[in-house]
Amino acid sequence: MQASKWKKLLTVAVLSAATTAVCSAEEVTVYGVKSLSGSFASYGKYADMGSKLAVEDYGNLLGSPVRYQAIDTEGNAGKAVRKVQEAISQQGARFFNGATLSSTALAIGKEVNKVGGVFMTPAGADELTGSDCNMATFRWSVPTYGAIHETVEPMIKAHPEWKRWYTITPQYVFGEALLSNAKAVFEAEGIEHVGNSYHSLQEQEFSGYLTNAMAAKPDVLLLLNFGSQSSNALRQAVNFGLKNQMKILVAWSSGLDQLQELGADVAEGVYFGAQYWHTVDTPMNKALVKRVREAYDMNPNYPMAADYIGTTVILDAIAKAGTTEGAAVAKALEATSYQGPTGDEVVRAADHQVLKNYYLLKGKAASEMQDDDDYVEIVSSGKSFPDESSLECTRS
Amino acid sequence: MSLYLFQALNGIGLGMIYFLISVGLTIIFGLLNFVNFAHGAYYLLGSYLCFTLVSLTGSFWLALVIAPVVVAMLAWVTEKTLIRRAYHLPHTFHILITLGIALIIQELSIAIWGPIGKTVAVPDALSGVISIGDFFYPKYRLFVILFTAVIALALWLLLERTRFGALVRAGSEDAQTVSLLGTHIHKLFALTFALGVGLAGLAGVLAAPIRGVHPFIGPEVLGLAFVVVVIGGMGSFSGALVGGLVVGLVQSLMTTLWPQGASLMIYGAMAVVILLRPYGLFGRA
Repeated sequence: MQASKWKKLLTVAVLSAATTAVCSAEEVTVYGVKSLSGSFASYGKYADMGSKLAVEDYGNLLGSPVRYQAIDTEGNAGKAVRKVQEAISQQGARFFNGATLSSTALAIGKEVNKVGGVFMTPAGADELTGSDCNMATFRWSVPTYGAIHETVEPMIKAHPEWKRWYTITPQYVFGEALLSNAKAVFEAEGIEHVGNSYHSLQEQEFSGYLTNAMAAKPDVLLLLNFGSQSSNALRQAVNFGLKNQMKILVAWSSGLDQLQELGADVAEGVYFGAQYWHTVDTPMNKALVKRVREAYDMNPNYPMAADYIGTTVILDAIAKAGTTEGAAVAKALEATSYQGPTGDEVVRAADHQVLKNYYLLKGKAASEMQDDDDYVEIVSSGKSFPDESSLECTRS
Repeated sequence: MSLYLFQALNGIGLGMIYFLISVGLTIIFGLLNFVNFAHGAYYLLGSYLCFTLVSLTGSFWLALVIAPVVVAMLAWVTEKTLIRRAYHLPHTFHILITLGIALIIQELSIAIWGPIGKTVAVPDALSGVISIGDFFYPKYRLFVILFTAVIALALWLLLERTRFGALVRAGSEDAQTVSLLGTHIHKLFALTFALGVGLAGLAGVLAAPIRGVHPFIGPEVLGLAFVVVVIGGMGSFSGALVGGLVVGLVQSLMTTLWPQGASLMIYGAMAVVILLRPYGLFGRA
């Protein structure tokens, strides 16, 4: 009698465990790695909104509703990695999207690769699809090569009289990559690089560097820093009257949120490079703008658009693969082409880089703005990527 | 004018801004022996209030008067309800309490003003630049230098030449005796704390058109203020002035001599001062 009771209980337990395993195997959860607190919280908040919306819009996948779970990286690579490891080991997480900081993205990419998952990021470091590429990591943002070629080259072509360029560069991997690409373009186009000022990653006071730039008397000041550093450098350059002395290009802006911070008075006449702009005339972008306005009563900015499309393409790849097995999903994502916010976008199989447009924008005067977010006109756009033969990615 | 001479001039300008950022911290430490880790957060609050007042009224000058007063009043309330209970405790408790206050101010700022930074326009009367040889210097920065010089003089007079200053200095040496002589020592300390924090708010207002407003600016400002105060000597008013000028000059000149090390050399200067004079240039053992 006792033995029979135990047998029944065991059978029920085994069946129950098996049913749970089958159900959970089909349930898809996308983990959004976002800097929801810390110095980059302004970015993470909108990235999180983008991923949430993408999951909400997707509905069911493989017979179950898609779930979304945010992981707060706190703008710290070490904390981000620990949290991602926990999610992987305790919740079986395999699909990740986001990461603002390059260091965070590189570290997360390695962790996700260890368990054969998929990680789509809009981070800036070229190593993500270069020397540190791996099977799991995919990058949506245009690399530094494209950011320079799609901003500096069109300006030189439109204004061959702007012969003397001065650069201000943050001294870390991202800044060095932008600078070396800029130098290559200068050399190819016969531009005189009249000077460069390096600054540290903590710098917020740029008057000294701007004085160096003034002394060099350039035609164009090229700012190669990012985020609050480029905002402060530009704000202070305008204070010093440099807009009247030379043209200014911020090669890697964060788009709408940065322009909202700076305002039209600072941005007027300044050139900006951008990964995304909400007025881009593509079918998917029009739909995205409409959807974001409905959901959040605002125009989508770069982090929101990047993480919306990043999350969506992961889900599309799962649907295409028909499984939640990471390696199969990564394979399905390779060489995929789709309609993204910037138009036709292609995931290059060789390095997992998304081939998409990069934009050169020019700040409008406040009097020319048609609405609250109409800060710029799109001067040009295009796709520039290193040839496959020159890629540093050696992933087999 | 040579590049180095202009960088030196720019360094003096920067130094005056750094003095304003740090003088409130040094007054509070020197006179109340209280370590205020919320100094950067009060600076942040001053900047945000400036942004709001300029947005609402269009007048920077109104913001320059109202924002520091509001910040000082808030500090006065905080002192009455919380800070004064910690004066007799070790410095670690001061740090814990003020770090908590700083986090509350920062998170409330994000909740009220959002995570995206703000820009405060330079007032029309001070927009534009003046030409110095081949260089240009913003009129607004020139105004900040002169205004800060006036504030420095007024503070020196207040602390060294008035009854209030004498009482505060005496209170910092022996609060009990000053109290026994009939002075309301708690009121005196509350006013001193409000003054120091109000100066942080004033620095936030004046720096807003130069550096913008960002919810995470507080820790950066706090770090800079501590460097200035350590160089000048903890609690020394003259030390804050000289420390600010040293930091400004080092930073500005190094941007030409060794640009990538300009920020690093601020800390290098601090290390040298600590090695040669452990209590700072004007500090007391």
